Amino acid sequence: MSHVAIADQEAHLHHPKTFIGKYIWSQDHKVIAIQYASTAIFVGLIALVLSVLMRLQLGYPDQFDFINPNSYLQFVTMHGMIMVIYLLTALLLGGFGNYLIPLMVGTRDMVFPYLNMLSYWFYLLSVIVLLASFFAPGGPTGAGWTLYPPQAILEGTPGVGSGIVLMLLSLAIFIVAFTMGGLNYVTTVLQARTRGMTLMRMPLTIWGIFTATILGLFAFPALLVSAIMMLFDTLAGTSFFMPAIVSLGEPLEHEGGSPILFQHLFWFFGHPEVYIVALPAFGMISDVLSVHARKNIFGYRMMVWAIVIIGGLSFIVWAHHMYVSGMNPYFGFFFATTTLIIAVPTAIKVYNWVLTLWRGNIHLTVPMLFAIGFIFTFTHGGLSGLFLGNVVIDLPLSDTFFVVAHFHMVMGVSPIMVLFAAIYHWFPLISGKQLHTGMGKIHFWGTFLGTYAIYLPMHYLGFLGVPRRYYALGDSSFMPDSVHSMNEDITLAAIIVALFQLVFIFNVIWTLRKGPKSERNPWGAASLEWHTPDVPPDQGNWGDKLPTVYRWAYDYSVPGARQDFIPQHVPEEDVDYEPGGRKSHKT
Amino acid sequence: MSWTQIFTDKPWLPEAAGEVPDTDTGKAPGQIALRMLLGAITILFLLFFVTFIERSQFQDFHALAGEPWQPFTDSMRLWVNTGVLLLASLCLHWAVRTSQKQQAILLLLGGGFFAALFVVLQVSVWQFLYNLGYGLAENPANSYFYMLTGVHATHIIGGLFALLLVGRKYLAGADTGVALRACATYWHYLFVLWLVLFFMLTRTPETYAIIAAFCGLG
Repeated sequence: MSHVAIADQEAHLHHPKTFIGKYIWSQDHKVIAIQYASTAIFVGLIALVLSVLMRLQLGYPDQFDFINPNSYLQFVTMHGMIMVIYLLTALLLGGFGNYLIPLMVGTRDMVFPYLNMLSYWFYLLSVIVLLASFFAPGGPTGAGWTLYPPQAILEGTPGVGSGIVLMLLSLAIFIVAFTMGGLNYVTTVLQARTRGMTLMRMPLTIWGIFTATILGLFAFPALLVSAIMMLFDTLAGTSFFMPAIVSLGEPLEHEGGSPILFQHLFWFFGHPEVYIVALPAFGMISDVLSVHARKNIFGYRMMVWAIVIIGGLSFIVWAHHMYVSGMNPYFGFFFATTTLIIAVPTAIKVYNWVLTLWRGNIHLTVPMLFAIGFIFTFTHGGLSGLFLGNVVIDLPLSDTFFVVAHFHMVMGVSPIMVLFAAIYHWFPLISGKQLHTGMGKIHFWGTFLGTYAIYLPMHYLGFLGVPRRYYALGDSSFMPDSVHSMNEDITLAAIIVALFQLVFIFNVIWTLRKGPKSERNPWGAASLEWHTPDVPPDQGNWGDKLPTVYRWAYDYSVPGARQDFIPQHVPEEDVDYEPGGRKSHKT
Repeated sequence: MSWTQIFTDKPWLPEAAGEVPDTDTGKAPGQIALRMLLGAITILFLLFFVTFIERSQFQDFHALAGEPWQPFTDSMRLWVNTGVLLLASLCLHWAVRTSQKQQAILLLLGGGFFAALFVVLQVSVWQFLYNLGYGLAENPANSYFYMLTGVHATHIIGGLFALLLVGRKYLAGADTGVALRACATYWHYLFVLWLVLFFMLTRTPETYAIIAAFCGLG
């Protein structure tokens, strides 16, 4: 079957007549994307509230009755897991992946629309199971987002009864959902591109999502293995991970299991997971920067290679999360080396983003502000990663706030900056309306400066030796008073940043209800998704005929062309060149 | 389409614009998706095996074969199950090759029946083990046996659902060539996976020690 026939298959599109068929049990990739995104943002807001609760305890210890040591650990755990898996992974791949892949490669829908629909409903089920643990006896698990055994399933850890079981079940269901979606994304990119859309004409967004999906398909099994084995240990009393333990003078039934084995499995998933989140973000930010700087992306081919190389290397760096587990020094040396090597393609990407801006016609629109903000936060988070990648530096810093600061800069704030850039950038396509610029700028500056106010001081707290995961610091003699006042300031900053998100939510609701209609393609983007017959795109995306692609996605400010961008589907003979421009040169 | 494009293409050059290169791969989407799925399942079991080999080197691990009193020193039951799964696989193999619809339907039913029978027989093996006192949590070797055969059986049950859906479409006269071939490939894969499982779960402690040493886990 030819590519175009797959991309163009009308027969596969179902044409629902009812409201339920159109918006609930929908097989349209755009509706599924919005379902994914709304669910992810909803659950992400819960995680945001949890983080504020944690900060309240750290900033003002023992002032709030509703926070006790158990609930604090539960907040930490649920905040981490929700943000990494149920918000970032789901929103970047389930949300933006679903929306953008068919539109950017020029197909009518995903190749398996029914499976795509199932993927969302399994995702929703996983979220419901996860949130159910808040109402279960004992509450959600407080084992930390890494769920390390043996403590994750031992008495004394919050949520040891049903909380941990619901968490593991939810993860297993999420992985099934991701696999169904992931098979769709990969196959659609490989098999359903429209005529002329070669691999090297795809926007970097697609390269990022495509590579991240492959990582996900091959890394999530490790999490599934650990979840299944831990469920057996919890429910059936097996000893895969559980060693012999004497608790309160009584030997437990377990013996001989290996907790370190769990750590290896978890991080064999956990590190690629960082790039499952980062690679789509890298791709999307490349496109946003290029469009708003009216310049082609610098070093496109190198950017593609970097994405693929980072994806490959991400599978052989996992044990840098385990330096403190007592590993063989040669083992640590190997993983420190691979970790530092992965910084090379990552740095290439950062240089290329900056070089894309260099001598570009930079429009400081809201998406562009978030994109430039991302370059800052990502570089900061990445540089502290270079420190932590070395065993000798990691050992003293590992259990301190330095690590919290590092991973929040690189994998919390940075992907969130990209998500906001992407939402502001693609909102006119998705809704036909443009988010209010003034409110967007207020949102950006509040978020950008506010997150710096939160995380920069945390590096300093880490250097002072302030431990992470602790409910209360007490009167430890090595901590100066500044630690406590700084913790108060960080908490204030966190509350302010959380409040600034309300501006964003208000902006979205206000724009959807009362905002003026956006013009088509308001940013002047060349990639295919902005050139559908209807905006927002109708079912089937492309009207009667699929577009044909004649060029890459980055023909901005082409010398000799009158317009400062040439859409991908415009043939060379239709481009309006000035006399002596490229067309006459070619002919 | 060729992956060498990512080394050779220069889409930014003016000469590259205007061309409409052929992007046809000649493959059906189902084939690509199935390969990715089998890749993911392979990694799933590979990771299970790595943990199994690692765990097999702990003192408290008592292999299920080796000594005369151990249940799989004589693994006749498992050979019977292997035969049943082979029949399931062969049925689907022939089902996609026959041109007669009647015959194909019979073979599809056979493929589904033997696969389901295999699951039932696996459950009977669990009962047999349990009755001998080899409970799930008694020993890590038992735990692995129940867990891995359970995960394998779950994959077969998933396959049965897929076969049911495809079979219904086939009966309705839809073009199911690619989907049926995918089902057959999945069945063959699960058969081979079972052979590997069978091999791994019924070795003697000495063999595990050799495999562990070979993997650097000894």
